[in-house]
Amino acid sequence: MFTTMRKALPLIPLAALLAGCGSTGGPGQLTVGVAFETLQTEYWVASRNAIEAELKKHNARMLEAIADGDANRQFEQIRNFITRRVDGIIVVPKDAQTIIPMIREANKANIPIVLFNRPPAESDAVSVAVVADNYSIARDTVDYLAREAAKTGRKHKAAILIGDLGDINSIGRRDGFEDAIKPHAKWIDVVARIPTEWNQEKALAGLTNALQANPDIDFLFSSSDLLLPSVASALKTAGKYKKRGEPGHVLLGTFDGDATAWRMLQEGYVDAVGVQDLYFDTAETVRAVLDWRAGKQPPARIVDKGFVIHAGNMAELAPRMWGANIAK
Amino acid sequence: MRVFARVLFSEYFVLWLCLACFALLAPAVPGLASPRNLSNMFSNMLPLAVAAIGQTAVLIGGGIDLSVTSAIAMASTCGALAMTRGGEPGSAAAGIAVMLAAGLAIGLVNGVSVARLAMPPFMVTLTSMMFFSGLAIWLTRSRNIHNLPASFLALGSGAWPVVITLAAAAGAHLALSRTWHGRRLYAVGMNARTARVSGVPVARVLTLAYLFSGLCAAVASILYTARLETGSPLMGQRILLDVIAAAVIGGTSLFGGRGKVPWTLGGVVFVTLIDNAVNLMGLAFFMVLTVKGVVILGAALLDRARVNYAGR
Repeated sequence: MFTTMRKALPLIPLAALLAGCGSTGGPGQLTVGVAFETLQTEYWVASRNAIEAELKKHNARMLEAIADGDANRQFEQIRNFITRRVDGIIVVPKDAQTIIPMIREANKANIPIVLFNRPPAESDAVSVAVVADNYSIARDTVDYLAREAAKTGRKHKAAILIGDLGDINSIGRRDGFEDAIKPHAKWIDVVARIPTEWNQEKALAGLTNALQANPDIDFLFSSSDLLLPSVASALKTAGKYKKRGEPGHVLLGTFDGDATAWRMLQEGYVDAVGVQDLYFDTAETVRAVLDWRAGKQPPARIVDKGFVIHAGNMAELAPRMWGANIAK
Repeated sequence: MRVFARVLFSEYFVLWLCLACFALLAPAVPGLASPRNLSNMFSNMLPLAVAAIGQTAVLIGGGIDLSVTSAIAMASTCGALAMTRGGEPGSAAAGIAVMLAAGLAIGLVNGVSVARLAMPPFMVTLTSMMFFSGLAIWLTRSRNIHNLPASFLALGSGAWPVVITLAAAAGAHLALSRTWHGRRLYAVGMNARTARVSGVPVARVLTLAYLFSGLCAAVASILYTARLETGSPLMGQRILLDVIAAAVIGGTSLFGGRGKVPWTLGGVVFVTLIDNAVNLMGLAFFMVLTVKGVVILGAALLDRARVNYAGR
C-alpha cells in the first residue's frame, strides 16, 4: 500500500500548484471574464493579448477561458464567470445564435456582456457588440484593386476566396467584394467564386482548380489572411506568384491585416489589405464593459470602420496594422 | 490506516478522489464551493453523464464507441430540422422522436458492423464518426438551426435534465446489474468466445450495446440542443475525450468485462470538477489543456496502480 501511496505523491504538488493559481486580484481591482471561441489563428491570439493589455491599463484583471470551438463549453465557461461574480464579460461567440442563452444568463445576473468581433442574432437579450464593418472594409479594399486594374487599361479576370457562408463576417466580405466590382464591370469579369469554409486545404484545392480552368486569372481577393499560404502555393504552382511590377503579377487583395499579409505587402506580392483596427476594437470593447458597469449603457453596436493599407500608404499606416506590429 | 486502505480499495475510489480534490481546491479556487457553482457543475455534468453511460455499456462489452459525438451532432441537426419546417417552430414531440431515431440508427449501423460483420469497433466507429459528422454538416450547409419550439427548449433547464439523466442512469444500472442481458454483456466483454460457447447470443448482445450508446447520445443531444436553443452540426464535437475519460477514470475497463454505471457517474463528477476548477482559476488556455490532461492521466494511473495492488 505504501508503494501505491508513493505513486500518489506526485499528485499532491500538482494539486497545490492548481490551488495556488486561483488567487484573486487586489482590493478594488475589477475582474473581467474573457471567453474566446478559439485561439487557433494569429488574429485571435493578437486580440486576446491586446484585450489583456487594455484591461491592465485600466487596472482590471483578466480571467480567461477558451471554448476550443465548442459552444456548449462556452456556455459552461460563461456560467462559471457569472458564478465568480466577474465585473464584466467579453466574449468571442462561437456563432450568432448559441450566444443568445449566454447573454440572457449574464443579463439575469446583471453583468455587462460585450461581444467581440461577432454580433449576436436578433433577440431580446441585451449586449454590446464591437464589430468590424466587414462589408465596407472589403468593398474599399476591392475598390482600390479595381482602380489599379483600370490603370492598366486592359480587362482582368477575377476570383474570390469566400469564407464560411454560415459566418456573418464572411458574408459581409463577399458582399463588399461583389458591390465593389459592379462599377468596374467593364474592366473586371468575375470568373470564380471559391468556397473555403475558412479551410486552407479547401482554399488551395479550389484556387488550383480555378487557375487550371482560367489560367488568365489576374485579380484575386482572399476573404482572410488565414488563406494566404494557400493562395501563395496555388499561384506558385500556376507560375503566377510575381511581385508588383513584374510581368504576370496577379493583383491580390486580402482581409484582416496579419503578419503574413504585412510581409507579403512589403515584398510586393499583396497589393492591398483590408485591416480590422484591432487596437480600436479592443479599446472600445474594454471601454464598453467599464461604461456599462458604471451605469452608462453603451450602444448595442460599435462599428470599426477599419482601413485599407497598400503600397502608397504603407509607411503611414503600418503602426496601426496589428500584423505589422507582431512582425517587428 | 484501515480507513485509508478501505477508501483506497473501495470500488467507488473515484468519488473519494473527487472529495479529496474538492477539499483541497475549494479554499483556494474562488467560487468553487459556492451554491451557484455547485448548481452549475451539477447541470454541466448531466448531458455528459448520459453520453458516458452509453459509452460504459459498449466498453463493458469489449468495444468502444468513437462515433458518440457525431451521433450527438446528427441528432441535433435532424431534430432541429424536423422541428423548424419553414423556419417556424413546429412539433417538439416529432423533433424528439427524430433525434432518438437518428441516435438509434447510428447505433444500429455500428452494432451490425461490429457484431454481425466482425469488423473492429475502433475502425467502425471512427468511420461512423467521420461519415455522420460530414453528413450533419452537409444537411445544414454548416448553418445552425434556431427558432426551436419553447416546449422543446424547456427540456434544457429546470428539473427536466435531472429527471432525464436520473432515468437514464437508473435504467442503465438496473439493466446491467439486474437483468440477464446485463450479465451476458459482462460475459461477452470478458471473453466473447467463451460466452458464445456458453450459449450467449454474442451478436445480439453487442448490437444492443451499440444501440443503447446511440440512444444515450441522442438523449445527451436533446439536453445540449435545448440548453443552447440551437441545432448544430458541430454539437458535442469536442467532448469525446471527456466521455471516454469519465467512463475509464470511473473504473470501466477498456478491455471489457468490467464497469458500472455508478462508477461512470463518479468519473463524470471528476472530469467536470477538474474542468470547472481550472476554468474558475482563469488559467491560460494552453495551461488548462495541460493541467486537465495531466490530472486525468494521473487519476487513471492511480486507479491502475490501485487495481494492480489489490490483485496481488
